[in-house]
Amino acid sequence: MKVLITGSTGFLGSRVVDLGLRAGWDVVALVRPSTDLAAVPWDSEKVDIIRGDLRQPGPWGDQIAAAGIDVVVHLAAATSGDIGDQVVNTLVSTENLLAALDHDRLRRFVHISTFSVYDYSSPRPGSLLDEESRIEPLPARRDPYTQTKRAQEAAVRQALGDRTELVILRPGAIYGPGASWDHGAAVTLGRFALIFSPQAELRLCHVDNCAAAVVEAVRSPEAAGEVVNLVDDDLPTHAEFFAMCRDRGMTSRIGVPVPWVAVDTVARLLALLDRTRLGGAIKLPELLAHRRQQARWKPMRYTNQRAKDLLGWRPERSISEGISTLADAGSNR
Amino acid sequence: MTERSARRLRVGVVGCGAISHEHLRHISRSPSAELVAVCDRSPIVGRFARDQYGARRSYVSTDDMFAAEQLDVVHVITPPHTHESVVVQALDAGCDVICEKPLAPDAATMATLLDHARSTHRVLVETRNLLYNDPVVRIDHLRTSGALGDVREVDLAISIDLAAGPFGDPNLSGPGVGLPGGAVHDMLPHLSYLFLHLAGATDVDGITGWLRNTGGNPRVGFDALDAVVEAGAVQGHLRIAPASCPDSFRIRVGGTDRSVETDLYQPYLRIQGGRDVGRRAAIEQIRSGGRLALAAFSNVGSKVFDNGTYQGIPRMLERAYDAIRSGGEPPVSAENILAAARLTDLIVGLASPSTDTPGEP
Repeated sequence: MKVLITGSTGFLGSRVVDLGLRAGWDVVALVRPSTDLAAVPWDSEKVDIIRGDLRQPGPWGDQIAAAGIDVVVHLAAATSGDIGDQVVNTLVSTENLLAALDHDRLRRFVHISTFSVYDYSSPRPGSLLDEESRIEPLPARRDPYTQTKRAQEAAVRQALGDRTELVILRPGAIYGPGASWDHGAAVTLGRFALIFSPQAELRLCHVDNCAAAVVEAVRSPEAAGEVVNLVDDDLPTHAEFFAMCRDRGMTSRIGVPVPWVAVDTVARLLALLDRTRLGGAIKLPELLAHRRQQARWKPMRYTNQRAKDLLGWRPERSISEGISTLADAGSNR
Repeated sequence: MTERSARRLRVGVVGCGAISHEHLRHISRSPSAELVAVCDRSPIVGRFARDQYGARRSYVSTDDMFAAEQLDVVHVITPPHTHESVVVQALDAGCDVICEKPLAPDAATMATLLDHARSTHRVLVETRNLLYNDPVVRIDHLRTSGALGDVREVDLAISIDLAAGPFGDPNLSGPGVGLPGGAVHDMLPHLSYLFLHLAGATDVDGITGWLRNTGGNPRVGFDALDAVVEAGAVQGHLRIAPASCPDSFRIRVGGTDRSVETDLYQPYLRIQGGRDVGRRAAIEQIRSGGRLALAAFSNVGSKVFDNGTYQGIPRMLERAYDAIRSGGEPPVSAENILAAARLTDLIVGLASPSTDTPGEP
């Protein structure tokens, strides 16, 4: 089975390549022209390399079309940057990829989306957010990441139609060595770390667990046509995650809990002020922008039951082990 | 009252790349305009812009857009080397045009486009957004009120690593900017129109200096400029430096009575001279310190209100819309556009075979 992996040198992509090789895939990796193969974290001798940049059509498109790709794992996307950057790196890249594929041969497309596409404003605090939950109806009020990832999902669905099996994976906050999510802190002020919504579940997914789920999404027959959320078992709260990281010496800051009701109230007042007095002109950071803030800190419950049922996936790394991988990588502050 | 002045202008946008979001955000909120259509050669980018900013329709072909829509105004925000054909098409479709700078790669092409606009009785405006930024407005007020005395110096210095962004991205093929001056050319219109405006000049008498590729990245073309310009009694120093930190856009206007300086990226205003010289210089420093402290609050406010370096775009667009609706003078005249283009040509001409070799200092 020939599997094309985009974003193959990234945080998640490099682990997917590694696991894919172990699973016996013929891995085809699209890597940027300037990438030093000696520095990639997988065995480049065992991978078919296609040099190219998804942002720009080029010879790589013909090479992909001719490569006999059975499955695509599409991980490439921007996770930060201004809206112009994210449109190019997420949307244009996806459009160019879809245009290059041999759709007659392509059997399955595993698309890596995100929890950020969901609507967090409508559900009541404490309710379950699962695959049936509503997609954000007002993306313009969210951040460019939500806006472009939502549009990216729609574009993939439209382009593939019924021709190809589509599996959409929506991971939570992917963490692991080098990605600590600030140990659960919303903001740090000198020796203090503000822990917003301390009792809310932090929807974590360890990068190794996430990569394993991607592998299962490639081969699971039941996953065809499905949307699957990915979070680990036994999710900690923001406060618990911070405490565990602190216990492992990753941060020496003092955690200051800020209850959700306080976070929510301040943001509501600012939103009201903006709407009634300032004509909707203010641009607040995620910490204070109501709709964006809800997506990050509103207390919700999460489940990975569908991932377990359809993918046969079990998150092998516990939260405690996952934090150990952070500590071992030196994610100290 | 004309038919146009009684209703909102029907606006279309061609090109939905990075800078388009600054235009689209304003158009979607403007009391003078209605965002009817967007057009981008990438369907996904066009659809995204349509959905994000509430346009009625998106197109991938300008032919289709102009055939289907009765537009009053078209914003041309495509890559600069494609402006010419899109502008002509829009003018021929009976639209007034607001085009991102540079309107064309050289003054001769701009003259042709402006002639075409005149012959079709349409407005053609090149963006001049920095003239509408708060610090520039305040400097201009000092200049025109005579507070500076007679202007003698206009120094414009940009610190920015043009190779660090998409212009120099080694993973992309082709030139970063398809203009004779390479990546630097994208900034040159700002330098040209700001110098001429702040010097109160319509042309320059001479220019010396160099235009170079200091980093050796071939996609950039040129990334550094150092030029001295003379316009009557005013001397200008125009610089683009890729190696210093932080990014900045410094403006200093020196007059016979006072001088004033700012940085458009981290705005503040410092006014020196007048009576506060010699033993009274400390008073000026206290005043400037106060202004700097106030600028800190003002800059936080600008962040909150999304009123950054592009703050001039909505102001300029409204001026352009007003002119189009009322049949009045556009915010920038054809003569001004051409004068800045001639200065830009002179700057581009500073690149010589001995200095345009990538990597050569």
